[in-house]
Amino acid sequence: MTFASVLSTEFLKLRRSKVTWGSLAGISLGPLAMALFMWIVREPGRAAQLGLLGTKADLSGLSATWPSFLSVMTMLVGVGGLLLLAFIVAYVFGREYAEGTAKNMLALPVGREWFVVAKLVVVAAWWLVLVVAVLVEALVIGMALGLPGFSVGLVASAVGNALLAAGIAYLLAPVVAWITILGRGYLPPLAFALASLALGDVFTHTGWARWFPYSIVPLLIGMVGKPVTVLPPGSLMVLALTFAAGVTAAILQVRHADNTQ
Amino acid sequence: MTAAPDMTVISTRALTKRYHDVLAVDGLALDVRRGEIYGFLGRNGAGKTTTIRMLLGLIRPTGGEVSVLGRRIVPGETGVFGRIGFLVESAAAYPNLTVRENLEIQRRLTGAPGAAVAQAIGTLRLDEYADRLAGKLSLGNKQRLSLARAILHKPDVLMLDEPANALDPAGIVEIRDLLRTLADEQGVTVFMSSHILGEVAHLADRIGIINDGRLLEELDREELQAKARAYVEVRVSGDPARAESLLRDAGFAHIERDPDDPAALRVPESADRAAEIARVLVGAGLELTGLTPTHEDLETYFLRLTGGVG
Repeated sequence: MTFASVLSTEFLKLRRSKVTWGSLAGISLGPLAMALFMWIVREPGRAAQLGLLGTKADLSGLSATWPSFLSVMTMLVGVGGLLLLAFIVAYVFGREYAEGTAKNMLALPVGREWFVVAKLVVVAAWWLVLVVAVLVEALVIGMALGLPGFSVGLVASAVGNALLAAGIAYLLAPVVAWITILGRGYLPPLAFALASLALGDVFTHTGWARWFPYSIVPLLIGMVGKPVTVLPPGSLMVLALTFAAGVTAAILQVRHADNTQ
Repeated sequence: MTAAPDMTVISTRALTKRYHDVLAVDGLALDVRRGEIYGFLGRNGAGKTTTIRMLLGLIRPTGGEVSVLGRRIVPGETGVFGRIGFLVESAAAYPNLTVRENLEIQRRLTGAPGAAVAQAIGTLRLDEYADRLAGKLSLGNKQRLSLARAILHKPDVLMLDEPANALDPAGIVEIRDLLRTLADEQGVTVFMSSHILGEVAHLADRIGIINDGRLLEELDREELQAKARAYVEVRVSGDPARAESLLRDAGFAHIERDPDDPAALRVPESADRAAEIARVLVGAGLELTGLTPTHEDLETYFLRLTGGVG
């Protein structure tokens, strides 16, 4: 069988899944929340009267401007995306175990590694759709809000940074895939993603952030200190190694581990 | 590719699987011939599913080896899987895909022609449900979907784990007929596991009985029927030991005592000699309170063999 056959079946599974469209609906709430924050910051009196998030918005150091809006957008894609992407990977790989179909998939005239690769391609495609959708939605909302400080260069830079953060998040996805296959379900990868993000946050406050894969996105988008415009070569190497290790581990796990599910 | 008529299609040698302290399959040696329906009979937890998983390369044996269609099965290799159809343990399908879409996935992954989906739907009588989501099927129809998936690419070998699960009596007969037709008319080799003796006894050409991971006995259908033994149950008031002694002296060599019922004796292979037994005991002055010629059914035999009640 060709890889194209495997890929087409994976796209069919994704297209007919409610979770796929749910993830789109979920992430599209992000820019709406950003719009609410901007409105609260711009009109704190009315927001306070309505009992909305005035205090929290003040503490966040936000201002109702394009630079501030774009910074939140990058954070949404970068950090929120890490978690959402882990959820998508856990679903795409974990459903085969949760629905009992893994055993049907592993005794076919198709190399088991192709399932891993096809699923990672499907995840990449879907992730790209989500990121582009959320960026377009955010920019349209930003325009509609009429925020001050707009410039094409600023938007292009923020969009570039968000896409880079999304790309880095994807490089970490195969490790989550491996944990999913290893744990044969949804919970282990989600627990792993949450723990990694928490650990990444800890590392962000140390001098080791550039060496820890889950700190590199926060470093890039400036969650602590100023955003890093160019990632150090060491970080790129760590990300490449993490990706390669994740793909290799996932393939080895699916090829050689007992399937007793 | 068609195998030679006398070819051994499934072969295991000293096949063993150990999970920590549990020996799930213990030195299994099987040979299943082309076009044969082999019933793999055992109680729950006997090692049937573990064996099927090893035959399919889903789990790695701790020892021994498996070959199917002349190729050694190694987990992770594609080998002969284009010629094998299977159903392992429970019926599983993608719940948010229709019956047709689930089968379309199988078709694409096995390289079967486009018409194969409609044929499989027709064969398993799923036409009415073809565009229904698999998640909304009854258990019986899910089982039919799994069987349709197994036969869709016209495999040479079918490995079916409890194929009659969840089917109603009419469905069981239908599947039995389908498997018989596939074996007789297309030379398909069927290896099916079951814990239901009646199902296997009706269909299988040869039967392997497994218990605690070990193959206890291998026999054909006629041999299995013959194993259902006949005996006479004798009850006397007074001294059963004396009755036993008298019967032995009269030439009844094998007499069994029932540990749960001290007054009862069993005289195997003697259902047609009940009158003679009565004459011996009454003639010696014993009071006979019961004399029952009994034919043990297959299930009792199976339970006795596998250490259950019976």
